Amino acid sequence: MIALENVSYRYRGSGREAIAGLSLDVSPGECIMVTGPSGAGKTTLCMAACGILEHEYGGEKRGRVFILGRDVKDYAGISEISSHVSLVFDDPEAQLIFTTVEEEILSALERRGLSSAEVEARLSAILEVTHLSSLKDRPPHALSGGQKQRVVLAAALALGTDILVLDEPTAELDEEGTQSIVAVLKALKAGGKTILFTEHKFSPFKSLVDRLVVMERGKFLAMGLPDALLADRAVKDSVMPDFSGIRDTSPSLPSSGKSPVISVRELEFLYGDVPALAGVSLDICPGEFVAIVGENGSGKTTLIKHFVGLLRPTRGSIVIDGKDGMTTPVSELAHSVGLVFQNPDHMFFADTVAGEVMFGIRNLGIPEPDRVLLDVLSECRLSDAKDLYPRWLSRGERQRLAIACVLAMQPRVIVLDEPTTGLDGREAREVMEILRRLQKDGRTIVVVTHDLTMATECADRVITLQRGRVVSDTGRGV
Amino acid sequence: MAEILQYVHKDGLFHRMHPGTKIVFVLVFGVITILTLDISLLCAILGTLLLLAFTGRILMEVLDQMKLILAMSSIFILITLVTMPGGDVLGYLIPGGFLPVTAGALTAGIVLTLRFAILIVAFQIFVITTQPRDLVNTLERAGVPIDYNLMFLIALRFIPTLQGEAKKIHEAQLARGYKTGRGFSGRIRSVAPVMVPLVSNALSRANVLGITIDMRGYRSRKRTPFREERMNFLDMVSIALLGVTFVLFIARSFSGPGG
Repeated sequence: MIALENVSYRYRGSGREAIAGLSLDVSPGECIMVTGPSGAGKTTLCMAACGILEHEYGGEKRGRVFILGRDVKDYAGISEISSHVSLVFDDPEAQLIFTTVEEEILSALERRGLSSAEVEARLSAILEVTHLSSLKDRPPHALSGGQKQRVVLAAALALGTDILVLDEPTAELDEEGTQSIVAVLKALKAGGKTILFTEHKFSPFKSLVDRLVVMERGKFLAMGLPDALLADRAVKDSVMPDFSGIRDTSPSLPSSGKSPVISVRELEFLYGDVPALAGVSLDICPGEFVAIVGENGSGKTTLIKHFVGLLRPTRGSIVIDGKDGMTTPVSELAHSVGLVFQNPDHMFFADTVAGEVMFGIRNLGIPEPDRVLLDVLSECRLSDAKDLYPRWLSRGERQRLAIACVLAMQPRVIVLDEPTTGLDGREAREVMEILRRLQKDGRTIVVVTHDLTMATECADRVITLQRGRVVSDTGRGV
Repeated sequence: MAEILQYVHKDGLFHRMHPGTKIVFVLVFGVITILTLDISLLCAILGTLLLLAFTGRILMEVLDQMKLILAMSSIFILITLVTMPGGDVLGYLIPGGFLPVTAGALTAGIVLTLRFAILIVAFQIFVITTQPRDLVNTLERAGVPIDYNLMFLIALRFIPTLQGEAKKIHEAQLARGYKTGRGFSGRIRSVAPVMVPLVSNALSRANVLGITIDMRGYRSRKRTPFREERMNFLDMVSIALLGVTFVLFIARSFSGPGG
């Protein structure tokens, strides 16, 4: 269906090849998963396989790409290729154009020269396979991440192509969202579609994948049956994160005699009329490594925004490092609590990595700024990247830079929202190792995640939220 | 957060109307509004629009924009008071004879405000009751090139996305101890930490959006009409009424000194 013959590509202005000498044959009905660390060239591979590099991008290309046995150069353009191949990217927000789910699918269906009856029939078939029938009148941008990505997939299916290429379709999704996408892909594979996709985690896709391909630095490292490849430790660590040894098993847990650094009592918060937190009480003591887990919408992010004063309680109280969380300004609380947001790209604006780190240092007037800068860059393994443009870093490096920026502000508590999103197993482990070291140096770490395995394997204490309430807490202090 | 200019799914008078009729509606009220200086007529038009919004079950959505309209109005009136003095002096903005409030400037300010409010309300009624797909299809049939259609559609569609992004970025920077600068240059400088990520993210998104549009064939393939809305009795009556209104307005403008 798709064949790559020794394909290499260098983006305009880039010093190195994003992909180098790739050869791959995708057979009809086959499902191939491509994995590898962020920046390995997975997205570029997807764009090469769809003929997008050939028709839409400049840069330096070598090798040949065939779709259905025909060289992509011989296709009239993306519009012709799009009758055979559909492409789905990781960011659903950028692929939703219309304002209701049905419209999004219809607008693609209408361009296929079908009769009205056929359009109607296919519309309902697509809504059914993607489990969107009940959401068809809703605006896509107001749906959850998993639902949004299903709408994108539905719009791609509307094109009726036999080949589907998906670039990290579940990167931004929680467990439930990922499962819903896997279910759709299974149905499509059973229906005979050829699927080529990139992902970090193997486990959710286990029953789907015929062949696994491992990439690094633009090259294929290994390719074959998943079971055979996973016997290799390096491959396994990359697609099935191993957090063993990160959790501190020594009995030096913080004594309960210390007064808590964050103390929450009967905290309630409403978004308009919708309750997001419904009476949360907890204490976090200095030096603890805490994970807060829960599905999307359980109130995790709402809770941690209270820790830095970005949200103020509707009812109840919160005391942060001795300061009243109801009235103390955010800039003052930033001295005590550093918050690393889920998407590092929401914070980068400086021209260099060093400039980015200095922003927080200057805002808070941290003494010895130059020494602090070098220390945090070395702690987050970014010393070599000091003068680079932050947005050119790989996702793993950007995540570490986000941590460095917050660390440089020298807060007592570091709170991270989904710190391993979009990272492969090894990068995720690296982030957790950094956090563990920081905790050993005396900082308090709070990680918010939907990944229960990571939480139990890394944190000393796991707090579970459900519908705005604490339903379990493995530590003390509630 | 109130979403600006987004389609609202309801079953109302305007929702049942053909997009073409609504385009005529915006044009007729737009042209009359721009041509007249008569405050009572402008008030009557604004009242009619609000009444129509109420009938069409979208009054609350339309009133959501009132804050913006009031804010812009006060700026308009202030500017006209300062820049277009004329006629009798009614009083002073600063006691002691500074910044006179003149009748001419006040009238001009009020006319400007009413025009602005009418255009916003009419456009709002049109956009929030028309599915973007119908809008694009109608414009396409009217001969507007698909690229312009998509530009219009995407501009509307991404308003709430950018609103949400700006809020997230602002929060991320606040948590890094960011403060809005003091004085003019301080304020300009403090825009960068929010605007740079906002624009950079939007640009990288634009790349994905562009590829998606091409891959879905919006620009290259012909559309087969599906669930095409036809003009119905309501549309005919509405267009007739709009036509009569326009003719009456023109006749009134030529016959009397009021226009």
